[in-house]
Amino acid sequence: MSTETVDGRTDTRNALQRLRASPFLSELLSNRLALIGIAIIATMVAVALYSRVTMDVGAISASQLSNNPADQFLSPRAQYPFGTDIQARGIFDRVLYGAWYAMQFGTVTVGSSTVLGVTLGTIAAYYSELTDNVIMRTMDVLLAFPSLLLALALVAILPEEWGLWRATLALTLVYTPRFARVVRGAALKVLEDEYIEATEALGASDPRVLVRHIMPNTLAPITVQSTLNFGLAIIDLAALSFLGFGAEPGTPTWGIMLSQGVDQGLLSGYWWWSFFPGLFLAVTVLGFNLLGDGMRDALDPRMREAVD
Amino acid sequence: MNARNRSTDLDLSRWTRRRLRLVGGALGVGLLAGVLGTLLGTALLTDPSVARTKTFALGALCLGLGLLGWSGSVFAGPGIENMHRHLDSGSDWSETDSRRAMARLGGFGAGVMAGVVLAAQVI
Amino acid sequence: MISRRFLLKRLLLLVPVLFGVATFVFAMLHLAPGDPARLIAGRRAPDAFVQQVRTELGLNRPVYVQYGEFLLDVVRFDFGKSYQIQKGAPVSEILEARFPVTLELAVLGQLTGIALGIPLGVLSAVKQDSLTDHLTRIGALTGISVPIFWSGPILIMVFGVMLGWLPTFGRIATTYTYESVTHMILIDTLLSGNPAAFVSAARHMLLPVLVIGIYSMALISRMMRSSMLEVIRQDYMRTARAKGQGANITVMKHGFQNALIPVITVIGIQFGTLLGGAILTETVFSINGVGTLLVEAINNSDYPVVQGTVLLFALLFTLVNLGVDVTYSYLDPRIEQ
Repeated sequence: MSTETVDGRTDTRNALQRLRASPFLSELLSNRLALIGIAIIATMVAVALYSRVTMDVGAISASQLSNNPADQFLSPRAQYPFGTDIQARGIFDRVLYGAWYAMQFGTVTVGSSTVLGVTLGTIAAYYSELTDNVIMRTMDVLLAFPSLLLALALVAILPEEWGLWRATLALTLVYTPRFARVVRGAALKVLEDEYIEATEALGASDPRVLVRHIMPNTLAPITVQSTLNFGLAIIDLAALSFLGFGAEPGTPTWGIMLSQGVDQGLLSGYWWWSFFPGLFLAVTVLGFNLLGDGMRDALDPRMREAVD
Repeated sequence: MNARNRSTDLDLSRWTRRRLRLVGGALGVGLLAGVLGTLLGTALLTDPSVARTKTFALGALCLGLGLLGWSGSVFAGPGIENMHRHLDSGSDWSETDSRRAMARLGGFGAGVMAGVVLAAQVI
Repeated sequence: MISRRFLLKRLLLLVPVLFGVATFVFAMLHLAPGDPARLIAGRRAPDAFVQQVRTELGLNRPVYVQYGEFLLDVVRFDFGKSYQIQKGAPVSEILEARFPVTLELAVLGQLTGIALGIPLGVLSAVKQDSLTDHLTRIGALTGISVPIFWSGPILIMVFGVMLGWLPTFGRIATTYTYESVTHMILIDTLLSGNPAAFVSAARHMLLPVLVIGIYSMALISRMMRSSMLEVIRQDYMRTARAKGQGANITVMKHGFQNALIPVITVIGIQFGTLLGGAILTETVFSINGVGTLLVEAINNSDYPVVQGTVLLFALLFTLVNLGVDVTYSYLDPRIEQ
């Protein structure tokens, strides 16, 4: 991307075309670990969509004790690959459906913090030093807080009735500074290029420069940052659910299942209550971390340093 | 921490004047925002104490963040700089910049809070 | 060495930190949706009680008067009393009993993280791109990817339930009695002069400390590797390494000390993340520290307790960073004190 942007003409092409022309994709596809990451994520997305379409969330959330009371506390077996819990629910279906929650709320969290971060970061890079300083240093303070503690503080001031959305909003605010910083760093590098000055001299207005030139060029670092943070977002969402600030008890999210497994199942030896949701969670996070790392390595070195 | 800081330390009046100018501007803006926020809130909401409380609390949030950020950048400055340097990120974070920005943010917050008090007296 | 002036300046920083946190938590309560008195009294509390809370806490007065009074209370270390978790108990009393528990856990976890992370980081850097290096780096990545609330249960399951080597929850076997002097169980059992009780407490402590330790090791080893690599690449180190073994050891020692400086500064910041980890660890191992207290208080909107806990966290964080500063200026003589 670096050489093409200088003359300014190439920016009229759409992002997809430029991505294809750049060495980014070929580099990424030759990275074996990144491919494993892609495979894991693709599988999880498929699982999420499959469970969303074929399963009835009400049925797997409700107690099955009245239907088949003998199936309580069963260890993994052919009929129940991941065993059953205290309410005779099959854990396998619940874990699969958990993928849908993780993907859905992970996407909302990362998506909205990306939008907020891109807006703040671009404004900071483009406008006066004072605006830049106040925005970015505030972001730095928020960044310096440990993410879980800051999320807890935000959860405490948001209404409890919002359930999982409360955790999602809190994490969105916690993650915004990370995107703001990356975008600002990348945007500043674009601004250093002469062609922006040239476009401004030709009378392009501020918003036009922002939308046409800066945003397309910061696309790659933003994608990398989103991928890396997707994994973290899934962990943090599960952590908040685990601590009791997420969905209603009984909802098949991985965090809720882990919480129930640790609270009620562990000491009685029902290891499968917490093991399988945790396994899916860890594998998904690993997938995003592998892909994110691979993407960062494949990134143009000039942009790479902007990404954490 | 650094040489610059120490020399200004000795000259107390100049030190104070520079800090005051930095915080003062933000304080003024905050004051205005606080008064306007309270008046606007009072006009729009049925319960005037809610407008006062929420505006004041928002100001307190800014002041709290500013103070935390200011003292945080002083005592954890080298750590944050090292973290940015070694865990490969190209951030240009510096202790001085951070302290200044936080002083502004804190000043703004304090201004908002003072503005609420002022507006409350007028009403 | 450290001058008294430097220490005094750093201690004075505690004033803006605590003032800042107090202001922040004050804002938290008043930004929360709904009537603060209703929140603190509890969702299902009778109206009369809500009214009583309102007058008791002065919530009916103008907000800036409340703020002033709140600051005065904080200066006197008076955080009010709990309305939900332990009805009527002063917050300071609850914190006094619970805080040392977390302190002990966090400090031991941090020390474990340092003890594991620094050697691993050095090893990884010295043998850059070898199998050891790759294994260490994968280990660090795993430490970041695997959440505490999964690694904890697995360790409990394997070492506690299946093998039966270690206790699974709590802080000490119920058969032992000891006097709570410091509320730090290892110290209390030592003071009580009962070695068996100490061993029991230490065995209970092992898994939680290990879980936190691995968590903090991940970042420390990554930092140490990067910092050590930077030092190794410097000219004097290269020459010394080229000359062979003799000169190597002294120079490596010197290089190590230089590489350690940035790592130490980061340990201070990372301590905050470790406190977040302590909250999860306490929940997994059912340990009654400030971490579980904070979670319980937020869940019950017991704001006086939330405020006290957050203030205490900030105080601890600042003190740890003060300790880091002292170590740092001791290691790096170039720093003015």
